[in-house]
Amino acid sequence: MGTKHKTPLLDDLEKGPFPSFVTEIKKAAEHSEYAQDLLGQLELSFKEKVTHWKHGGIVGVRGYGSGVIGRYSDVPEEFPGVAHFHTLRVNSPSGFFYSTKALREICEVWDKYGSGLTNMHGSTGDIILLGTKTENLEPVFAELSSRGWDLGGSGSAVRTPSCCVGQARCEWSNIDTMAITHDITHHYQDEMHRPAFPYKFKFKVAGCAIDCIASIARADMSIIGTWKGDIQIDQDEVKAYAAAGMDIQKEIVELCPTGCMSWDGSELKINNEDCNRCMHCIAKMAKALRPGPEKGATILLGSKAPIVTGALMSWVIVPFMKMEPPYEEFYDLVDRIWEWWDEYGKNRERIGELIERLGFPRFLKEVGIEPHPAMVKEPRRDPFFFWSEEDIEK
Amino acid sequence: MEREELKKIIYELVEKSMGKKKLKQSDILKKVSAEHGVDKGEVKAALRELMDAGKLIFTYFGGSYVEIPPKEE
Amino acid sequence: MAELPQRQTDIGPPHYEQFLPPVIKKNYGKWIYHEELGPGYMVHVAESGDRVWTVRVASPRLLSTDTIKEICDIADKHCDGYLRFTTRNNIEFMVDDESKVEPLMKELKEKGYMIGGIGSRISNVVHTQGWVHCHSAATDASGIVKALMDELHEYFTSKDLQARVRLAVACCVNMCGAVHCSDIAIVGVHKTPPRIEHERLRNLCEIPSTVASCPTSAISPDPQKKSVKIKLEKCMYCGNCYSVCPSMPIADPKNDGVAIVVGGKVSNMRSHPMFSKLAIPWLPNNPPRWPEVVDAVRKILDAYIADARKHERVGEWIERIGWEKFFKLTNLEFKLQHVDDFTFARETWRMAATFKW
Ligand code: HEM
Ligand code: HEM
Ligand code: HEM
Ligand code: SF4
Ligand code: SF4
Ligand code: SF4
Ligand code: SF4
Repeated sequence: MGTKHKTPLLDDLEKGPFPSFVTEIKKAAEHSEYAQDLLGQLELSFKEKVTHWKHGGIVGVRGYGSGVIGRYSDVPEEFPGVAHFHTLRVNSPSGFFYSTKALREICEVWDKYGSGLTNMHGSTGDIILLGTKTENLEPVFAELSSRGWDLGGSGSAVRTPSCCVGQARCEWSNIDTMAITHDITHHYQDEMHRPAFPYKFKFKVAGCAIDCIASIARADMSIIGTWKGDIQIDQDEVKAYAAAGMDIQKEIVELCPTGCMSWDGSELKINNEDCNRCMHCIAKMAKALRPGPEKGATILLGSKAPIVTGALMSWVIVPFMKMEPPYEEFYDLVDRIWEWWDEYGKNRERIGELIERLGFPRFLKEVGIEPHPAMVKEPRRDPFFFWSEEDIEK
Repeated sequence: MEREELKKIIYELVEKSMGKKKLKQSDILKKVSAEHGVDKGEVKAALRELMDAGKLIFTYFGGSYVEIPPKEE
Repeated sequence: MAELPQRQTDIGPPHYEQFLPPVIKKNYGKWIYHEELGPGYMVHVAESGDRVWTVRVASPRLLSTDTIKEICDIADKHCDGYLRFTTRNNIEFMVDDESKVEPLMKELKEKGYMIGGIGSRISNVVHTQGWVHCHSAATDASGIVKALMDELHEYFTSKDLQARVRLAVACCVNMCGAVHCSDIAIVGVHKTPPRIEHERLRNLCEIPSTVASCPTSAISPDPQKKSVKIKLEKCMYCGNCYSVCPSMPIADPKNDGVAIVVGGKVSNMRSHPMFSKLAIPWLPNNPPRWPEVVDAVRKILDAYIADARKHERVGEWIERIGWEKFFKLTNLEFKLQHVDDFTFARETWRMAATFKW
């Protein structure tokens, strides 16, 4: 075994009630030299207040351009155990449900070939196997793929799609988020593993506007379940909430953003035409209210973090789409968008940034999407708009 | 066009640009398809064979590129 | 070395159905309502009358295989061998009978797991890699999360808030994760421009793409040195050039630190989703416990607790009272850095004569 390092700064983070990541690294360090030297290097970072990792862009498994994040230590003489410390992104199953049998199998492979450290999960939603040597990448991949696991996305590719728990355990889910995510992931295996885009592309699927997967903030394409038709009301249950002490006027009616509800002490009324389906009333009175009958999704496009020119949230491009297998309309739309992105996108330009650069109207026209008031908060304020040939009288 | 010939064209294109400009997969598809009149899908299939054989690899430098693997030391 | 099994490609993830607990599989899509029974457990009721009880515990996200195996032992004993993780790094144990809840919770408590995170409280913290695994980090993530949650753990395990308060930590401005849309978030920032290592740069980096990487056009070619130069007054220390060109390191232990941003949300509930906005431009990195950062978060949270109305998220509260009042209530200093001069700047200036003293 390697060296045991003194880690006074990290040791302090073993105290206190919240579960400690230091304890986790120490547990792994009992049987892994990677973890031992990770402790040592991390202590150094805590002391010097600086990271000790270097870029390492050319490791991977044969044929794939995705799924491995290369990492090297910049102090390898001191910490040889993490000289290489590459990470594998393993594609998680939709909804993050596991059998213990499957988890144990992954652990077994990882104890044999890697650091014994993981993230459950990375922010993108992959199972992160944290840290191994270059020569172990192929063996890990062979062991995992022969047991039915594949790598997720990284680089200029489709990233591992992810979703909220949806219909598996949430009564509000308007779409089958897990089935949709599974289908998209399998549909785009090539686009995931062999990067061919200007930059990354993320899909995230939420069952309703509460958006537990944060799709609107961090997916290039956000698929958010919604409905048409009237919210279903069980008046007896409404009264039961009132009887149990809920101030329906104050907590529900007055917090409705569209002012479309009323309550006279015995009956709750909703003017559904004015409801914007924000989910407030439904979430607060789960037993009494349920989403309307016609289910589908709103498709939004474009969100990204502030790099490079400021953060974007996704905005509406299709107000309502049925999301039922085989999802032909959906895949057709995605393919058209990618074609446009491939044609005009610069290196490292996300789809949202490209649309900003070339204009949303041009995107709509060239991708073939009809404009709709749901796509904007308000129409433009300036008179500087363009017409095309066919709009002009000759 | 024969698959082997197409593979040769792709490999030479990558070889020529090594050290000058990093090529993305889509640069290769666009260029080879335009210059030799082959369908992009075919170029992609040929490129994939090169990758699966380890002749070419993907690299990552802020974006994903196609390059010739470094020589083993 | 032993013979390896045959590798397979493009098989995708395994189908989720084989991982669903039987009661979930049977009632898939047929749930009618749920009730929160405590800070860390809830019950979902299906049309069939079946119920599933869920107990949620925190994890540090960074898990050893030893702990995963321990979690598996618990799930084998109480939950027929199934479990799930949440988007926010919690672990959920599900049982199909009320009588199984007690023994499950008892064992979890005995083993030191922290139960909570459901409902109007603080759930686990979404965060990134930091010094544990990333080259780009201006601060650590796991360390800050641990220090912060040790301080705020009661809001995970017991105490109620007006609404959910979602915390996040990103270790650099790339903000992997939804930091830019969290109630209170911490993000690592640099304060000094990158240093150019001309010798290395010549061999390692492509000059045009390095020049193009800079969002403020601060970088231009330096033909004499066969390298690049930076117009210092234009640089906003984003580190984007370092990501494209490793010969432009930006890490600077004395000046790297964190900013705190507040008021973001992703849910569409009541109000539209919101971006987080700058509350504190810079606090020092002070490992292992980042006391200045923990104090600042505490201060913002306390002001929210004292003043917000029921169901109001941090961003909704601030929108109602106004940012000028936010700075007053939290006692935070308003600095030049708070005034936006970036892409969306003009949208943020007050084009009205109405504001609060
Ligand atoms: C000349 C060398 C390199 C340059 C110019 C470079 C540049 C970049 C840039 C611009 C990004 C952001 C791209 C994105 O978000 O998709 C990035 C991300 C990343 N880099 Fe590097 N990099 C280099 C080498 C490395 C090395 C050697 C490693 C690992 C050992 C590495 C690991 C990563 C990882 C893991 C990401 C995030 C990947 C992802 O989320 O897709 N890079 N790099
Ligand atoms: C120039 C921009 C960016 C660079 C250089 C960058 C770089 C990186 C690197 C190096 C990692 C790997 C961390 C590790 O495991 O060592 C990473 C992970 C990640 N990135 Fe980025 N990134 C960039 C932009 C973004 C953006 C805009 C997003 C999302 C909107 C994002 C989302 C993620 C996520 C979710 C992860 C996984 C993080 C985790 O689970 O810890 N990145 N990125
Ligand atoms: C080709 C471009 C434009 C033309 C020809 C134009 C023309 C006019 C005209 C004729 C008036 C009425 C003046 C008067 O008799 O009171 C006016 C008023 C005004 N315009 Fe423009 N305008 C243009 C662009 C804009 C733009 C881009 C903005 C703002 C973003 C703008 C903002 C205003 C405002 C605020 C008023 C005053 C309205 C009021 O009385 O409240 N204009 N403009
Ligand atoms: S996003 Fe909506 S449907 Fe999905 S889990 Fe959250 S509340 Fe349920
Ligand atoms: S969903 Fe929102 S907008 Fe619609 S009635 Fe309920 S509170 Fe009002
Ligand atoms: S936020 Fe920055 S430092 Fe942290 S993991 Fe992402 S890229 Fe790395
Ligand atoms: S740190 Fe950012 S702003 Fe400064 S030179 Fe690099 S890319 Fe440009």
